Amino acid sequence: MSEQNPSLLSRAMTRRRMLQGSALAGVAAFLAACGTAAQSTAPSAAPSAAASTAPSVGASASPVLSPTPVPSPAAVLNFANWPLYIDQDTSNPPKSPTLDEFTKKYGTKVNYKESINDNEQFFGTIQPVLQAGQDTGWDLIVMTDWMAARIITLGWTETIDTGNAPNFVANENDGYKGLSWDPNNDKRAPWQSGMTGLGFDSKVAGNVTATASMWQNDPRWTGKVWMLTEMRDTVGLTMLKLGLDPATATQANCDAAIAEIKKATDAGIVRSFLGNEYKQKLISGDLVLGFAWSGDIIQAQLEKSTLKFNIPTEGGMLWTDNMLIPKGAQHKYTAELMINWVYDPKIAAQIAAYVQYVSPVKGCAEELAKNPDKTVSVLAKNPLMFPDSATLAQTHIFAALSETDATYFNNAFQGVSGQ
Amino acid sequence: MGALLRRYRSVVPYLLLAPGIAWLFVFYLYPAIQMFITSFWSGSLEQGYTFSLSNWTNYTTALSRYQDQFIRSIFFAGGATILTFLISFPLAYTIAFRGGRYKNLLLFLVVAPFFTSFLLRVISWGTILGDDGLLLGPLKSAGLVGEDVRILATPIAVISGIAYNFLPFMTLPIYVSLEKIDRRLLEAGQDLYATPVSTFRKITLPLALPGMFAGTLLTFIPAMGDYVNAELLGQTPNTKMIGNVIQSRFLAVNDYPTAAALSFILMAGILVAVAVYARILGTEELMNATI
Amino acid sequence: MTTLTLDAPRLRTPGTPAQRTRRWLSQNGLYVYTIAAIVYLMLPIAVMIAYSFNRPLGKTNFSWREFSFDAWLHPFAPLGLEDAVAASLRIAFISTLVATILGTLIALGLTRYRFRGQSGTNLFIFLPMATPEIVLGASLLTLFVSLGWARNETTILIAHIMFNISYVVVTVRARISGFDRRLEEAAMDLGATEMVTFWKVTFPLILPGIMAAALLAFSLSIDDFVITNFTAGQTVTLPMYIYGAYRVGVPVQVNVIGTIIFGTAVGAVLLSTLLQRRDRAR
Repeated sequence: MSEQNPSLLSRAMTRRRMLQGSALAGVAAFLAACGTAAQSTAPSAAPSAAASTAPSVGASASPVLSPTPVPSPAAVLNFANWPLYIDQDTSNPPKSPTLDEFTKKYGTKVNYKESINDNEQFFGTIQPVLQAGQDTGWDLIVMTDWMAARIITLGWTETIDTGNAPNFVANENDGYKGLSWDPNNDKRAPWQSGMTGLGFDSKVAGNVTATASMWQNDPRWTGKVWMLTEMRDTVGLTMLKLGLDPATATQANCDAAIAEIKKATDAGIVRSFLGNEYKQKLISGDLVLGFAWSGDIIQAQLEKSTLKFNIPTEGGMLWTDNMLIPKGAQHKYTAELMINWVYDPKIAAQIAAYVQYVSPVKGCAEELAKNPDKTVSVLAKNPLMFPDSATLAQTHIFAALSETDATYFNNAFQGVSGQ
Repeated sequence: MGALLRRYRSVVPYLLLAPGIAWLFVFYLYPAIQMFITSFWSGSLEQGYTFSLSNWTNYTTALSRYQDQFIRSIFFAGGATILTFLISFPLAYTIAFRGGRYKNLLLFLVVAPFFTSFLLRVISWGTILGDDGLLLGPLKSAGLVGEDVRILATPIAVISGIAYNFLPFMTLPIYVSLEKIDRRLLEAGQDLYATPVSTFRKITLPLALPGMFAGTLLTFIPAMGDYVNAELLGQTPNTKMIGNVIQSRFLAVNDYPTAAALSFILMAGILVAVAVYARILGTEELMNATI
Repeated sequence: MTTLTLDAPRLRTPGTPAQRTRRWLSQNGLYVYTIAAIVYLMLPIAVMIAYSFNRPLGKTNFSWREFSFDAWLHPFAPLGLEDAVAASLRIAFISTLVATILGTLIALGLTRYRFRGQSGTNLFIFLPMATPEIVLGASLLTLFVSLGWARNETTILIAHIMFNISYVVVTVRARISGFDRRLEEAAMDLGATEMVTFWKVTFPLILPGIMAAALLAFSLSIDDFVITNFTAGQTVTLPMYIYGAYRVGVPVQVNVIGTIIFGTAVGAVLLSTLLQRRDRAR
């Protein structure tokens, strides 16, 4: 320490430190100001209480039912969904035409979050809440069949008042009705369907048509094969390869499938078990062949035209993602309005043009065909988006597992997928 | 005010500590205890959970079922720690002893990567190490490595990823220790005809020991629980670490009892290491040597 | 040799090329190594910044396609990114503030006083740093549910403050323990009361440590993923956004945001160093 007068020294140091401190504090304040300024204030449009908004829209081919006496739409709707599952234009600050038009019509700000990446992961975040009988904070969530069934069976969903969603009643494709876990069609509304099959780079692997190829030690794809972390997809397709029916999934069948999967991983043919990220690796070339979801591949073809999707000759899987209203949701009525909204064929076509999965809405294909943009109207004939009965015959649905079976299957699958 | 302070002097430390410690009690200790209780549950979501001390078998089941991942985690974390140490020590040494005017700049450069998102760093490594990425792409085009060589989806990628992320944690404590060394001790060594090598071995190295220990612990402990590197860079089933298992048990399967049991096994191992260290060097050193 | 021959001065250092190389290496090897290490450290950052200028065909930002300022001109184009960044910044700022205050108080209490339970407290402070993040997150979620608290930004804040306290304590302690008590004694000898001494002598001297702790807490908070994931409810922070986006393709704008955050933090530190230098020169 210097020999200076301590008080002089301390004053000098004080000044220096205060300058430093204020500089950093200034930066911090600037950052905080950035944060609060960027906080988008909701266009707090007061819900028009006077307007008795007839929820049905557009030229749907079916008669319009008038809704029961309506409460007014809420100011906010909290909607959780999977990534890239709604139409979105990215050339400007964020806009989803479907959601924006909904906001314009009802004045509700849609708090749309792509928070769902995995059924079980998402369920893990809402399960403790639902168990305690509390509000999850979400008004609409989208879950795959088996998880939707589970949540419904646990009694953790609200019953949809179909009087508020006449479009849904009129336009839901018949194939979705009358399921054992939703006999009255009022617990869930299908969002999109999709198929799981083979995704591959046709330039490197040629035209792959059989699941069995994934077990072959072919230099074109050895070490560059992936399988899905979604147990029902991977085990289901493997069962089909073995000639077993996924719709009757017994523990013995499970063991057989798991053993078969293990053969592929042990031989070093299979590289990873992935979720959505397989698409990126297909595009980057790290992976060449594996189980894939139909819509993903169609979307990925934009970035790599040589990518292809085939339903395997042994059979593919069919699944549906469903909208649910969690129990205790604060804006149930507005959620029903949203369900009604997306079942308007025009809106459904708008969504389908972007996500390119199988739409559950009747009249969607016709709307797409009417689109002046050729790249959109051609989608109406895409068999992966509007499968005919021949295509559907090749697909299978995984059995609804009992709880003990589900645990058994999950444990066995995780043993082989290394989680 | 000053008079008040003087009278209640003995209370002052407790007052200073109270708010922070209270926060930790409520939001760390109590939840941790609750989690411990959870590890003695059995049952499921649909059937409900029941507590029973006989469920200590949850621990043994978890340990035996996931011993592969535990052992692998030890190897990966250990390997990463060694790698980090090998990279960091010369770096810290250079900055401490040859840094001169650039000391602060160099230290800053070591810490700077920390100012970006951890996830973005790992993702960037994924881009660099891709099969046809910035590293392998040119090498493969030049024919220097085979076409089917890959770095991603191997243990090497995971270990390098972990090592990279903990470099500042290792470099800074070592630097602090080295910097504190009184230069006159080194001069004395040289005056007594010690060669540079033996000066290093007999004076520098032992005095840097506290920093090395702190850095090792600060690297090894979080590395054991890491799962992001294994997930984004490892990708294959045989690079999964215990962190991945715990995460999937908690979030994917909602198997809370097993997940809680695994977490506590992991914590127990870590705490043993910390306790051993604390005993050897005393807790004061531990605090002083970090940063 | 008896005669002095004035040759042209030898400009080359003596020895064979091998000897010269070895000598050069032994003198400069460490510097070369340090530069190589710094390059290695900066590599992913450079990649992140470089790819923020990319304009990929679709959603994946893996291979370089063409240079473009598009992402920089529309940094918040992707749906939800703006909210995520705002949430992260808000949480980071507030949690840093609270954690720094609480942690500094603890650090002061631990270093300047002797009391019973000191070593126990030391260890207790260290425990959260040793606990796997996933345990911290999951146990907090259980707590909030049992209390009936909704999970939102507030619960994230609580979690961030909790894990930041330990880091602040450790950082500030290091600064306090290197602090020369004689300055305080000198001030008090000159008639200053304890409070005055603290605010005019001690506090300014430990302020750099507090600032460093605050910066550390800020970085940890803004980057946290695991604990935030558990306590977020339906709030989305930047790391959560990135992790989710990773599955489908991290948009280029995320690189832009990352670069901005990096630049701001670097700028802040450079600014304070410059001020320090200027002060010293005075």
